[in-house]
Amino acid sequence: MIATPLHEMEMRKAYAETLVELADSDPNIVVIEADLGKASGTIPTFSEAHPERFIDTGVAEANMIGIGAGLAVEGFVPFCASFTPFASRRVYDAITISVAYADANVKIVGTAPGITTGANGGTHMCFQDLAIMRAMPNMTVFSPCDAWELASCVRWMAEYEHPCYMQMIRPLQPQVFGEDYAFDPHTAVRMSEGDAATLVSTGWMTQFARQAVSELAAEGVAVDHFHYASVKPFDEESLLESASRTGLVVTVENQSVIGGLGGAVCEVLSERLPTRVKRLGVHDRFGEVATEEYLLNKHGMNVEHIKAACTEGA
Amino acid sequence: MPEEFDREAFDDLAGEFRYVITDMICRAGSGHLGGALSLVETIITLYWRIMRFDSANPHWEGRDRLVMSKGHAGPVLYVALAYRGFFPKQELKTINADGTRLPSHADRLQTPGIDMTAGSLGQGLSAACGFAMGGRIRKQSHDVYCVIGDGESDEGMIWEAAMFAGHNKLDNLVAITDYNRLQIDGFTDEIMTLEPLADKWRAFNWEVMEMDGHDWDDLHTTIDAARAFRGKPVMIIAHTTKARGCSVVQDLPESHNIKVGGPEDFEKFMCALECQGYELPYEVQ
Repeated sequence: MIATPLHEMEMRKAYAETLVELADSDPNIVVIEADLGKASGTIPTFSEAHPERFIDTGVAEANMIGIGAGLAVEGFVPFCASFTPFASRRVYDAITISVAYADANVKIVGTAPGITTGANGGTHMCFQDLAIMRAMPNMTVFSPCDAWELASCVRWMAEYEHPCYMQMIRPLQPQVFGEDYAFDPHTAVRMSEGDAATLVSTGWMTQFARQAVSELAAEGVAVDHFHYASVKPFDEESLLESASRTGLVVTVENQSVIGGLGGAVCEVLSERLPTRVKRLGVHDRFGEVATEEYLLNKHGMNVEHIKAACTEGA
Repeated sequence: MPEEFDREAFDDLAGEFRYVITDMICRAGSGHLGGALSLVETIITLYWRIMRFDSANPHWEGRDRLVMSKGHAGPVLYVALAYRGFFPKQELKTINADGTRLPSHADRLQTPGIDMTAGSLGQGLSAACGFAMGGRIRKQSHDVYCVIGDGESDEGMIWEAAMFAGHNKLDNLVAITDYNRLQIDGFTDEIMTLEPLADKWRAFNWEVMEMDGHDWDDLHTTIDAARAFRGKPVMIIAHTTKARGCSVVQDLPESHNIKVGGPEDFEKFMCALECQGYELPYEVQ
């Protein structure tokens, strides 16, 4: 059981410090915010380190995306952040046309994804960003699980010359990976081995999946657990190899079960290896003001639910 | 084709532009004729008298940038780019054909010389702000031009960008509103009035200039003054006539996207052109 994290770090701290580090050596790195620079950590860390490359559009997310597109066409590498609903669904067409269709090298960061937005409630609780961003051609979609993976992901995004979308979690995250971790969007990370079930998680839910796996291991049940920081591109081969041995796949994500990680898993399996799948996540509901514990329980996606899904039919 | 300004030669060039644009759109079977014809003199002025570019090197860093935010005016831009040597004039006849590099709406990945993709209205001015911010960060001296539509100005994103450019005093940015007073559903005054348009832009901290968008002297004097202006971005309100020069649809909402059903329609639009007798710059069957 993962009771005490070895180390914790806010992702936004890692985000801002990594961007400063990148910008120190790359004059093309630019940060654009839409009045949420403090929330994403770039104020004051980046804004003071590189004020000439820090842009705040005020509360105008579509304009943030469009300015990012213009800068990207000029060869800059803009990182644009806002709360997840405003960085994705609110500006979906601006991203689709000015960024993805125009192949403008813009990096979009959605902060406080899913139920982690807590007290801001239903208006701010976005459950569909992984799904809608995944459905967009020329877009890559990532959800790292800790600050170390996020830092590596940001470095990878800065090198990659096409559009990216990344979720960034607000609460302190327990350390999962170390300094030597290298983000690779083409390969899922195997967290544990076993034959009882294949457990697939991403982003914020990976910590709970790990805890479930650990508790199941103590009970003598070995689960094949994969962390998919990249929902697109999607590592099909790891999933297929595991599913062919376990015959049961459980997905868990801080999102709607429609179209996101669970959707990606079902698409792959239904075409290449029909396998029973249990999707944990939000089942076609809006969010609400509530604690994370309450919402995890309400939507059937806490540690106990994950354990039950992995042992279903056993 | 004139290199230096000569009134008669420029009038002749504008007539040829309208002839070729209308022919291209008729051959394609449909297209946005009205908004392309209203911009003929503006685009000629920009590409013959104002903008710095290198057609052999469309991405030349020192070039002036142009964002055609009303992306459906692609056809007038394609004729200008072809006549200025960005690609062969022969290619103009491929507009909207399968596999073409000349889509109905401007696409930076398809057409040499197109700086930004547009078509979903309202987005181009933000991209132009990005271009202008980029030039400022790199301390470059080029100018950024952005053409927006009057109907397009209904979009909220235009005003997000307007506020941004005004706040940041982007004086390397010149925007032009193609104020032909028509949008798809009717006259802008009836559908969604823009007035007082000049005051709106002034209120967003822009310098505002107005010009007759079909008068060579006014166009050149105004755009030249706008690019030299310092301290604020400049909005030029270009008073234009939609589908100028094609009498059957001139100043009518129907000109926005014409449908050409067959040879009779083709002839109707071509015969309605005020200026005639041009040789097409491409072979036709």
